[in-house]
Amino acid sequence: MSTVKKTFRIPDMHCSACVMKLEGLEDDLPGVRMVQASYQKQSMVVEFDDGMVSEGEIRKAIRELGYTVEDR
Amino acid sequence: MDTSIWIVFFTGLTAGGLSCMAIQGGLLTSSLASQIETQVQVTRKKKKNQKINLPLAQPIFLFLIAKLVVYTLFGVLLGALGSVFDPTPQMRGGLQIAIAIFMLGNAMRLLNVHPIFRYFNFEPPTSLRRWIRRKAKGQENWFSPLLLGAMTVFIPCGVTQTMMALAVSTGSPVQGGLIMFAFTLGASPLFFLLTCLATKLGALMEKYFVRFVALALVIFAFLSLDSGLNILGFPYTISRLTNASRVNANTIPRIDDRANFPSVSVNATPEVSSDVVVYANNDGYYPYESLATAGVPITLRLKTNNTISCSRSFIIPSLNIKALLNATGEKIIEIPPQKAGTTLAYSCSMGMYTGVIKFQ
Repeated sequence: MSTVKKTFRIPDMHCSACVMKLEGLEDDLPGVRMVQASYQKQSMVVEFDDGMVSEGEIRKAIRELGYTVEDR
Repeated sequence: MDTSIWIVFFTGLTAGGLSCMAIQGGLLTSSLASQIETQVQVTRKKKKNQKINLPLAQPIFLFLIAKLVVYTLFGVLLGALGSVFDPTPQMRGGLQIAIAIFMLGNAMRLLNVHPIFRYFNFEPPTSLRRWIRRKAKGQENWFSPLLLGAMTVFIPCGVTQTMMALAVSTGSPVQGGLIMFAFTLGASPLFFLLTCLATKLGALMEKYFVRFVALALVIFAFLSLDSGLNILGFPYTISRLTNASRVNANTIPRIDDRANFPSVSVNATPEVSSDVVVYANNDGYYPYESLATAGVPITLRLKTNNTISCSRSFIIPSLNIKALLNATGEKIIEIPPQKAGTTLAYSCSMGMYTGVIKFQ
């Protein structure tokens, strides 16, 4: 069990409302410790506990919010 | 309540709402644009033919509430500060131009012209975002209009500036606060209706929505840029060129002239004089172009008659002359001798209404 830091590219962020929506994963997905999204860079940095949540689950959660997720 | 407070309220109700729309309406449109854009995207994903129900009233209401609170507090501060508060035309002009750039940048961002324009989107810092998100779970959209409403205190329209000057002149925090409260409250209903209508129209044109909002922002940006340049006394702006084309039409008595000044008729060829009369009407200054004698001191008589528009807040930027005209009366301004060929550009303090004095 370790803390992993991963950066995803989110090419369809429209504004800062999208940023806040994506950063909400920090509260909604157990195991996610920190999310920092950037509309300007069209990316988000996620710090998570890989023993509690997998990268695949994070990707799925992002897609469920209505966004495309790509590797950076 | 003091009768003058009611007058201030009705000034807001009539002139205030319309006058503030150009700049503040643009800012609010920028803010609403993001929210509506998201809403449109979400609805599209949910169901193709579903009617879009936009939560417009709430952000506009929040915007106006924030405006009311901040302007009232500012009125209290102005009353307390008295004559200490005195922003220069250069400061106001610079601010207007900065706002124009902000709006243009946002229009380019909406049209996806280049990734660099994404930096024109206002984004609070991460820690603040987290705080807001946790405080207002499920209602993330309230922050932006609230902040923008509060921020408009830095970009008051001409009529608002007149009221601010009035608040300063009271020298009393209570009176200053009351004046700004009454005025902002009065301006709110019209502002609410106009913004709601404008944004609804944008949403109806869903297909063209982004382009519609971007176009609106471009128009607001040019208006703001034009005003900013006018305040700085720049002689070649769109509004000045348009006004200049009106010079020959000054011979025809205008309906609104008659409303303001029953006896005004301006000569086709204005006389060169050391005594210049300019009428500050609700819709601008008449005549647009006055001729004055070069090399001698000039007496400029600014006449008002039930004038409630921002033409009351008069500036000549190059001479650093500022004057707040009474709603009815005459204000005399002494202009030092100017060389032949000089053109003095003047405007209202928001750069909406303009005029020139040419020295011969």
